[in-house]
Order: sequence, then structure tokens, then C-alpha cells
Amino acid sequence: MLKNYIKIAWKVLLRRKFFTFISLFGISFTLMILMVATAMIDHVTGPATPETRMNRMLFVNFIQMVNTKDVGIMKTLPSYYYINHYVKSMQTPEKVAISSMPKGVNTYVNNKRLSLNLKYTDADFWEVLEFKFLSGKPFNQQDLKQANHVAVISAHTRDQYFGTAADAVGKTIIVDGERYRVAGVVENVPFTRLNSFSDVWVPLSLANINKGDTGLGGEYMSIILAKSAADIPKIKAEYQQIVKKVKIPDPDNWDKFYSFADSVLEVLTRQILGNANNSGLTKFYSVLFLVTFLFMLMPTINLVNINISRIMERSSEIGVRKAFGASSRTLIGQFLVENIFLTLLGGVLGFIFSEIMLRLISNSGILPYAQLNLNWRVFGIGIGLSLIFGLLSGVYPAFKMSKLQAVEALKGGTI
Amino acid sequence: MIRQLFTLIWNRKKSNFLMITEIFFSFIVLFGVLSLAFYYLNNYQKPLGYKYDKVWVMNMRWNQEKSEEIKTIQRRLKQQLNSNPEVESITLMSSNIPYTANMMGTGFDYNNRTVQTNVFDIDKDFARVMQLKLTDGRWFNDQDLNSKYTTIVIDQAMRAEVFKNEQVIGKIIPGKSGEDTGIKIVGVIEAFRQNGEYSATAPGFFKLRDVEMDSVHMKGSLSAMLIRIKPGVASGFEEKLMKQASRIAQGWTLEIKTMPEMRTSYNKVALIPLIIFSIVCGFLIINVALGLFGVLWYNISRRISEIGLRRAIGAASGQIYRQFIGEVLVLATFGLLIGLVVALQFPLLQVFGVQTGVYVAAMVGAVIIIYLLAAACAAYPSRQAAIIPPATALHEE
Repeated sequence: MLKNYIKIAWKVLLRRKFFTFISLFGISFTLMILMVATAMIDHVTGPATPETRMNRMLFVNFIQMVNTKDVGIMKTLPSYYYINHYVKSMQTPEKVAISSMPKGVNTYVNNKRLSLNLKYTDADFWEVLEFKFLSGKPFNQQDLKQANHVAVISAHTRDQYFGTAADAVGKTIIVDGERYRVAGVVENVPFTRLNSFSDVWVPLSLANINKGDTGLGGEYMSIILAKSAADIPKIKAEYQQIVKKVKIPDPDNWDKFYSFADSVLEVLTRQILGNANNSGLTKFYSVLFLVTFLFMLMPTINLVNINISRIMERSSEIGVRKAFGASSRTLIGQFLVENIFLTLLGGVLGFIFSEIMLRLISNSGILPYAQLNLNWRVFGIGIGLSLIFGLLSGVYPAFKMSKLQAVEALKGGTI
Repeated sequence: MIRQLFTLIWNRKKSNFLMITEIFFSFIVLFGVLSLAFYYLNNYQKPLGYKYDKVWVMNMRWNQEKSEEIKTIQRRLKQQLNSNPEVESITLMSSNIPYTANMMGTGFDYNNRTVQTNVFDIDKDFARVMQLKLTDGRWFNDQDLNSKYTTIVIDQAMRAEVFKNEQVIGKIIPGKSGEDTGIKIVGVIEAFRQNGEYSATAPGFFKLRDVEMDSVHMKGSLSAMLIRIKPGVASGFEEKLMKQASRIAQGWTLEIKTMPEMRTSYNKVALIPLIIFSIVCGFLIINVALGLFGVLWYNISRRISEIGLRRAIGAASGQIYRQFIGEVLVLATFGLLIGLVVALQFPLLQVFGVQTGVYVAAMVGAVIIIYLLAAACAAYPSRQAAIIPPATALHEE
């Protein structure tokens, strides 16, 4: 029976090729755009090398001082002193890594400029993050203590500086006027991974840090690694306890101090949508939901419209089947199968298109070093939604039609 | 005839409801994308105010030197680099260089009103390097270095926004406290749009800060050096310049970029939202157009008997054709009317502070596109219907 229905469905799809094309186009392209958008969000906030343990990571990237009298606000990256003195003093986390904001530097190869980013990191940085080493290894505590001029470089840097796929470990690279011995080569990191991104990583002890400076604002960031994902709320709470004890250097200017241990998404939403006490995460999800809803509304109305026309067109077929004794249930069953078949076909096409599109974007270099992946959960939700609307719009008119008198349906009656 | 068409569509509003909704949403989406496009276009046509080609930007990051030491090094840097025959002129400026996202703003108080403006700290050679266009007054000169006032040059946008049509040259705005002696305006320039061609014109002014000034007149330091290169200089000169600079500024991090490079990457980012929205909008519109086409085709083919009747009593095929096109256009009008009511709220409420002209252009553009789209979708099915011989059409019944 089911086989027969599918056969009929296939024939029906082929008979009205244009309608079929419209339905499939709508479903598959809507799915594709949805998938690309999700992949972009995942690309920025989801786990990926080297930030593989994202569910166990929190970031302290901003401190904010507020003057409640004349509503002045100062928002900056924390200083080395602040991270070392306050963030590192936490008990719950497994490790805290410190690194500097990457700075742009120049180096020259054969008279040609090579613009690179240089990041100062501590030894924990290499344990908290899981970089993929193509050769060599990271620098260690020893290198930091002795302030050795060693560097970890990205594959891109190696290819540009030493030649494609050259063996760089042990060789010398001159960056920003300083000579470094290459300790390791890692896979490229896209710049959307703000916390780990750079082209060259060197020991923090080489950075010009004024040890006497106790200012809170600076250009450093920290990554907190929790022992397990369940510890995250505990760390957040502990950090708030620490923030309460922070001494503001010039209390005349600034009377309130805020800082949060945030997930990557929270760091972003707090910047754009949130404020001191609100991470802006709810706002972000509401906006996201609204945009997706509005975006899907049009293809949905279109699908409904087309489906209704499709069924109405077949009213005489329904009439004939009713005249030969088919029950309403059989008819609805048939249309149900047809609709599911069509939607799944659209889903498969959508999957193929999404894969092609994601590959194209990954390879195009629009997002350097990005590897976009299909998010199966969102893909499932997308197909589920198109099934629901397909069924509502395809089966409901069929149901109404099946209730008609056979003679009226035969005449092409309207619902 | 038009009244008849309206009555026809109105009587079938229930069955046409979905199509009207689709047209309504298409209009809103088109309106949004076109508003953004016209906004960019409108900005693009305004004067940029400076010339970016042949300008190199050197960012300087010093260590723990004091402000006076930094000034000495920068003075030497400027002198040394300027002595190269390839260099035309050199200037120092604050970090808010053109084509970067760095912002420096201040609330400018005048006549009990505060206006948010951009501030650019620059030295007296800036106008030569960036080739600014002076529209009134004069540029900074050597006397301004020791002026007891903070001398500034403002741009046209700031003049219009803050001073309306007053005479501004030589105007002194007294400072608030004893230490702050006040501000003196010496000139007006055409524009200085830091965020490039696609950004809106924002009020801004230049504050003179020169390495030749003493510490009383100049606190803090300027972190960027802008170098105008003579035409025809090979790119190999860049490395030479860098080596020269790092010998003088030992231990500093120096980074050079050319302004055309910075412009390309900055404008690419500025255009990304427009490109993404256009792609999504294009997809939605194609989707709706296809849907509309399918549904219209079906609807018209259902009315073949009606067509037969009309042909039999003497209607020409052209009349039938026009009637169907007309019906679809009326249908589109219903959708557009609802859409316009929504779209009109944007200029009326000034939601994003964009000029009304941009919204009006976007509305007109969206209305035209929707009408064309609707007419195009209806053209083929209507043609098919109109050429059916009356006998065949009547036979259907």
C-alpha cells in the first residue's frame, strides 16, 4: 500500500513539474540559508580547534568601571596585574591562562611585507587550549622563566616565511625586529576565535610588563578552564565574590566595578546587547528567534499557498476515488504520504545544497581558515518545521475535500 | 473598470488572503534591503574630505617611556623619515585613523546644548598629508602652537549641527574650569569621514597637538604616523623606512600599512551586511515570485469557462488579458497598502535617524519592483487564457 502511495506521489510530482519545483526550491533553499547562518554562529561560538573544550571554558575579557554620578563608563581589557592578582587567585578552576591581545606586527621576506599578529602567552595557555601541532611543541614553564626567545607559529606564517610546508622547527624567525627560535608549528586559527587567534605566539615574559603597575585596565585576556562543565556556575559565582573585593585605584573617578566570567557567546552578547548586570543572552536569543521566524514566514506562506492550489487542482481525482468507494481516511493517508515524501525530498536537496554552500564558503577564503560544519540539530528542526507546515497546508484541504460529496468534488468544487 | 477590479478582488479577499500576505512581506523585505542600499549610496555620494592613496600608516606602540621621551623620539622620527626623497610629508595623529574602528568622541557643549562629536588629535602637517579641503578660515599655523587656547578646526557637519549658520571663525568658547582656558575655532574643512565612503557624515573637529608643543600645551602622545609618499615609489622602500624607524624608536613595536589596503578591508566589512541581506532577500523574492506564478496559473485556468462566456458575448482577447493583469495589480495594491502603512512608520518615528529621502526612495523602489514582479508573474498565464478560442473555453463547462 505504502509503496503504491509513494509511486503515485512520484507520478504526481512529475505531472506538475512546475509546482514540484516551487515546493522543492522553497524547502531546500530555506533550509540551506538556515544551515549557513547556523554554521556561522557555530563557527564563532561553538567548540573548534584549539578551543575544543568550550563547554568547560569561561573568559574574562572585559572589566568595566562606572561613575554613577555623571554616568561615565570605561570598558577595557584587564591588565596583567588584574588577571594575575584576581583571576588567578580563584580556587575552583583547573587552570587559568593569560595571553595578550594580539598586536599587528610587520616582518619582511624578500622585500615584501608580511603582516602578522603576535600574541604573548603563558605556558598554561598551551594546556588549556588544544592546538593542533603540525610539528614541534609549545614552549614551557622553563622557557617562560628564562625569557627564552622562542615562538610557536601558524602554518600560514611558516608557508609565507620559510616556504610552503618547509621544516621550520629550530629555525630563526625575525618578527617585530626580534629574533625568535621556532619551537612549533600549529594549524591556522581563524580570527573569529578571538581568544586563541594569532599568527605568532611568544612567551609572556618577553612582553614589556611594568611589574610595579597596579592599574586594572590593560591589554590582556584570560581563559578559565573548569574541571568539568558542572563547575561553570560555581566559577561564575566565585568570580563575582572576587570582583566584590577588587580595589579601584582611583575611587574618586570610578565608584563601581564590574567584570564577569562569561562564555564566548556571553562575551559577545554582553558587548552588543547587554549591560553591566545583564549578559544580553536572552535578548540575543529573542532577536535570533524573531529574525528566523520572519525569515521562515514567507517561504511557509508560499508553501501553504502552493499546497492548497495543488490539492484544489486534484478535486476531480478525489471525486473519482470517492465515487469508487475510497473512504476519507484512505484519501488522507494518501495525501499524508505524498506530502511527507515531498518534504523529505526537499530536505535531502536542502542537505546537499547546504553541504555544497558550506564547502564553497570554507574554501573561498571569505572567512580565513574557517571550516564550517552542518549543525544536525538545527537541520532536524528545519525539516520538522517544513513537515508540520507541509502537513497542515497539504492535508487539511485534502481532509476538507474528502468530506465533500463525491458529485461536487467531481465537478471541481471549492472548499 | 478599476473600481470593478477592486470590487472583484475585495469580494474574494478570503481566497486571496494568502497572496496579499505574501506581497505584504515581500514589500517589507524589499523596503528594508533597499533602505540599506540607498543609505549606502547616499553616503557614498557625499564628499569624503581626504585623499587616501599614497598614504602609509605607521602605528607606534611604545614601552614605559614618559610622555616627554616619547615626544623626543617622535620628533626625531618625523625629521629622519621626512629627509627621505621618497617622502612628501609626514604627520602624527591619534589612534582614530581613517578606515579603522577606533573612535574618539566627546560631548561638545555650546549654547546649553551638548552634541556628540568626533575628536581627532593631529599635528599641523595633517592637512598636507591628507589633502584636506578648507572651506572657511585657515589651517593651523606656528602661532597656534603656543596659543593660550586649544585651537581647533571643525568640519562642515559640526558647523551645521552645533553652530547652525553663525560665523564661527575666530569664535572663542570659554572653558568650564580655571585650568581649561577655552577653545578657539580657526577654520572649517569640507569633511573628514573617518569610517569611509559608506558611513554617515558625523560632526567632528581637529585638535592641534604637535610634537613641537611643550608639556603644558600637550598632554599624552599621538600613536600613529601618516606618511604621504611621492608618486612612483617602489614598494621596496617600505622595508627601508621600517629599518630606519626602528633604529630611532628602539624597542617600540612599529607596524606599517598602506591606507588603500586598510580601505579595501574596511569597506569589505562595511558591505557585508548589505550583501548578506541582498542574497537572502533575492532568495525570498524569487521564492514568492515562483509561488505567485504557480497560484495565478492555477486560478486563471479555473476560470476558463468565465473567459469563454466573456469572449462569446464579444470581449476581445486583449481585454481579457488586461483584466487578468489588472486583477493581479489590484491584488498587489492591497498588499502594498498594508506594507506602506508599516513602512511609513520608519521616517515618521525616525527609528534609525536616517534621512527621510532614503526611506522615500526605498519605498518607491520597492513599490515599483513589486508591481513589475506581479505583472510579470501574471503575464504568461493571462496570455494563455486570453488566446483560448471562445468555443473551446465554453466547451469546458
